[in-house]
Amino acid sequence: MNLGTIKILLCDDSILVRKKTKDFLLNLGCNKDNIIEVPDGQAAIDAYKEFKPDLVFLDIIMPIKDGITAVTEIIEYDLSARVVIVSSVGTEKHVTQALKAGAINFVQKPVDNDQIKKIVLTVTGGEN
Amino acid sequence: MYTQFLGNYLLSKGYITSEQLIDSIRYAKTLHMKLGFLAIHAGYMTCAEVDKIHIMQTHVDKRFGELAVEEGYLTSGEVDELLKMQKPSFLLLGQAIVEKSYMTMKQFEDALISYQSDYKLSETDLTDTQSDKLNLILKDFYQFNSNQYLDYYIEYIGLLFNNLTRFIGDDFTPFKGTAFSSYSTDFSISQKVLGNMEFNTVIDMDEPTYIKFASRYAEDDFVENDEYVNASVEDFLNLHNGLFTVNMSNEHLEELALTPPVRERNSLLTSESKIYCIPIGFSFGTINFLMTI
Repeated sequence: MNLGTIKILLCDDSILVRKKTKDFLLNLGCNKDNIIEVPDGQAAIDAYKEFKPDLVFLDIIMPIKDGITAVTEIIEYDLSARVVIVSSVGTEKHVTQALKAGAINFVQKPVDNDQIKKIVLTVTGGEN
Repeated sequence: MYTQFLGNYLLSKGYITSEQLIDSIRYAKTLHMKLGFLAIHAGYMTCAEVDKIHIMQTHVDKRFGELAVEEGYLTSGEVDELLKMQKPSFLLLGQAIVEKSYMTMKQFEDALISYQSDYKLSETDLTDTQSDKLNLILKDFYQFNSNQYLDYYIEYIGLLFNNLTRFIGDDFTPFKGTAFSSYSTDFSISQKVLGNMEFNTVIDMDEPTYIKFASRYAEDDFVENDEYVNASVEDFLNLHNGLFTVNMSNEHLEELALTPPVRERNSLLTSESKIYCIPIGFSFGTINFLMTI
């Protein structure tokens, strides 16, 4: 797997957050056809089942279904799912809940793009 | 933050009008600190001496420092010291106000001394970004009803000003807060904070200000009100409230939660308790930050 082939699912109710993250990933070298965006937790679960991404970036505070519920259901579906929570509410309680639910990392907003880059390169095994 | 409250202090004491203050904030962004202003503030020269050098500069093509040394007002060492010293933003605001002729240099210096005295601030405090003294100013400024979480609400407002500075810009002045039982919004985003301390937060403004605010936060140049503009303002409120929940959890062991942000247009806010309105005048327009406690 490399940056050109990695499949990434972006889930945030903010169209702006999704755009900025996608632009950063494209700049990093990811393929636009391999990046899927959804606006809520239920759509994230549905998209995961259909798209089977290598990596998921998931917000917590969203309508319909929140991120903690979504990561729980994604992990129930696929124990090997790699889900990273990206949220402004990085309280100890939320971080603990997210990691217990199966998230592999928690990124506090405002996002440092270097963290996103590190996470993506970890999944690709450092392959550009 | 002291710069922003200094502006409002000058306003509340009647030295300048709100239009003059906003105009000065706008102008200050274009300025470089002048040596004469620094020299007065450092106590090396008087206003009259600085005025004399400025007049001389209209006849002779020489730098301020050079003329001041020739006239014996400054030594070369003092000129070097002034050039190297930190240029605090409150002095830049002062320079803008004086250059616009809204106040004289002497009036500004006297007002600055009164400001420091009224709030027991030292020169160092004026360049500090956050301290207990700032919270004292906030408490005096925003008269919430007595509440067991009053100190936390004051922290919330302090964090709001820090986040506005960090993500939108420092070219603003806070105006005195007002309490209402109802409030009619224009373009607004609201979000509830849930937990032991529960309150509703709303950020409201007119459409041109909304677009400009969104542009500043997104670091983009939006020209019309669209989904990206709405998302940008929502993101700011969500981020600010999120950071508050993190602080409350880390520092006070208070666990809070947030609801998703909601957009509203021309709606009427009502409350059995008070709606506190905190107007904040940016150089591009005024935003109203509302809290229902």
